[in-house]
Amino acid sequence: MSTSTHPTPPPADAPAAHRAPVPRRSTVRAAEKRWGLLLAAPATLHTLLWIGVPIVVAIVLSFTAYDIIHPPEFAGLENYATIFTDGLFWRSVWHNVLIAAIGIPISMLLALVFATLLNRALPGRGVFRVMVFLPHITATVAVAMIWLWIYNPSENGLMNIILGVIGIGPLPFLTDPDLALGAVILVTIWQGIGLKMLIYLAALQGVDGQLYEAADIDGANFVQKFHRITVPMLRPATFFILITSLIANFQTFDLIYILTEGGPANSTSVVTYRIYQTAFQEFRVGLANAQSVILLLILIVLAFLSRRIVGGTDGD
Amino acid sequence: MATDTLTPALPRTDPSASGRTTSMRRQKRLGATAILVFLILSSLLMAAPFLWMALSSIRDPTELAQVPMPLIPQDLRLENYTDALARAPFATYARNSLILATAAAVLNVAFGSACGYALAKLRFRLAPAVFGWMVACIMIPFYATVIPVFLMVRHMPLFGGNSILGAGGTGWIDTWWALIVPGAISPFMVFLFRQFYVTTPSELIEAARLDGVSEFGIYARIMTPLIKPGLLTVALLSFEAGWNNFLWPLLVTTSDNLRVIQVGIASFRQEASTDWHLLMAGTTMAAVPMIILFLVFQRYFVDGFAASGIK
Repeated sequence: MSTSTHPTPPPADAPAAHRAPVPRRSTVRAAEKRWGLLLAAPATLHTLLWIGVPIVVAIVLSFTAYDIIHPPEFAGLENYATIFTDGLFWRSVWHNVLIAAIGIPISMLLALVFATLLNRALPGRGVFRVMVFLPHITATVAVAMIWLWIYNPSENGLMNIILGVIGIGPLPFLTDPDLALGAVILVTIWQGIGLKMLIYLAALQGVDGQLYEAADIDGANFVQKFHRITVPMLRPATFFILITSLIANFQTFDLIYILTEGGPANSTSVVTYRIYQTAFQEFRVGLANAQSVILLLILIVLAFLSRRIVGGTDGD
Repeated sequence: MATDTLTPALPRTDPSASGRTTSMRRQKRLGATAILVFLILSSLLMAAPFLWMALSSIRDPTELAQVPMPLIPQDLRLENYTDALARAPFATYARNSLILATAAAVLNVAFGSACGYALAKLRFRLAPAVFGWMVACIMIPFYATVIPVFLMVRHMPLFGGNSILGAGGTGWIDTWWALIVPGAISPFMVFLFRQFYVTTPSELIEAARLDGVSEFGIYARIMTPLIKPGLLTVALLSFEAGWNNFLWPLLVTTSDNLRVIQVGIASFRQEASTDWHLLMAGTTMAAVPMIILFLVFQRYFVDGFAASGIK
């Protein structure tokens, strides 16, 4: 009943409610400052404790030799020197680069195609959107289990059933070092289309329809309109998708853990999986932290690079 | 007849359309049909792995050894589900995931909205610094900090037999604290909330202040009800992240009664090895709750991704 919860405010210059005296401006400012700090405090303190402190700890431990049982010992730059010559670590980085370089452009292109086609009145539009998006909403562990079964090396794996129709196989997708990374990339493409499509769809809905109408009057064809209007208008969305996809790609872990455990012969090892092995299987915690710091540096460089390449979200 | 149902798919008829030739219109209709066929085929392709999972989960195990295996299971075998439930405590796993996901949703909504509101609407000296910090946090991948977070949890003072210096015991390892607390507030959700509050009218705040409403009252009873869809979006995204989380629960839980469903599936894989009918039944149980939640609340999920992407 109280007027305070009523959504429409009284006109600013109307006399305020008679029951409460108008608060003084300075008291209001002080309360605003105090409550700003109070309301922001829990989330800020929590992230300082559980993200800020760990970053500092990771950097500090990266300069130590630490095996969890004995206290950490200062080791200078030894871990970084080890990483520098650690072939397996750089191979893992390379696998991330390959997954990104092949998988992200393909899934971005498919996402753009789907988004363009779905950005109109279409029977069953919602159903298509859901079907393309389901792989993203499903846990990667479950997704990996499904694909583990699809890639089953026997004649009864779905992929081998399909290839059998054209007379190929059966192939041991996940145990052949030449095939395993490709098999992983296919899953990342399939799982990655949905989110990219949603972001493109939202961006397309923000494009002013009058631009297309003007182009129609000028006699532009579909390709011209796509090239001259859609692509430039989607630039901020493309930047956002690229940067989030790159970051997500360097965090691929669940998929590798279930599908291949980095194998066969380390042919699908990725950075996060290598860090996991170094820390929790080999107990070289100092080294694993140095690897984490490198991962962080890679992501920061990627963020700046992709901003330069795509042109960024502001300024133009 | 089929073309009749396609009529709404055509681009809005512009006034000049009547003047155009029928062959052009037919061409457009053909194009719309081609698009529809393409979309049907490709979305079936996208859904195929899920269909394969569902089909395999009701398959008789003898069919798995048959070559060639009949593509469609010969009979519906729901015992696979009861068998899977008998082999591994999926009910316990699901309950744990539900608790974890619900806690993530509640905590993110409560503290994320508070911080997001303060950053969007309240002027205080540290606001720019806090906002910059949150954005920086979004960029930091969990995998870069997971080892220190694990060490902090393990050395949590006075828990799990630890001394006040955090030594000697196992700290929060294998407790609900470890599962819930470190990831309780996501900087991304704070950012998302800020975006939602930015779109609300500040005049309401000024008016409420004139009415003598407390600052907390303005936040909780006036501004937050305005972003109800946003609350649901954050709750759903947090729930999804909690339900689908794998690495962290894998690292900090060891006992079966704290194991969450994604870790449960991974360990069931060792246990059931080649019993794919059981593995797919288990996987279906892990995947279906999120799929249903998404189908019911699709709009809010989509809003969340769109808002985070474009603004």
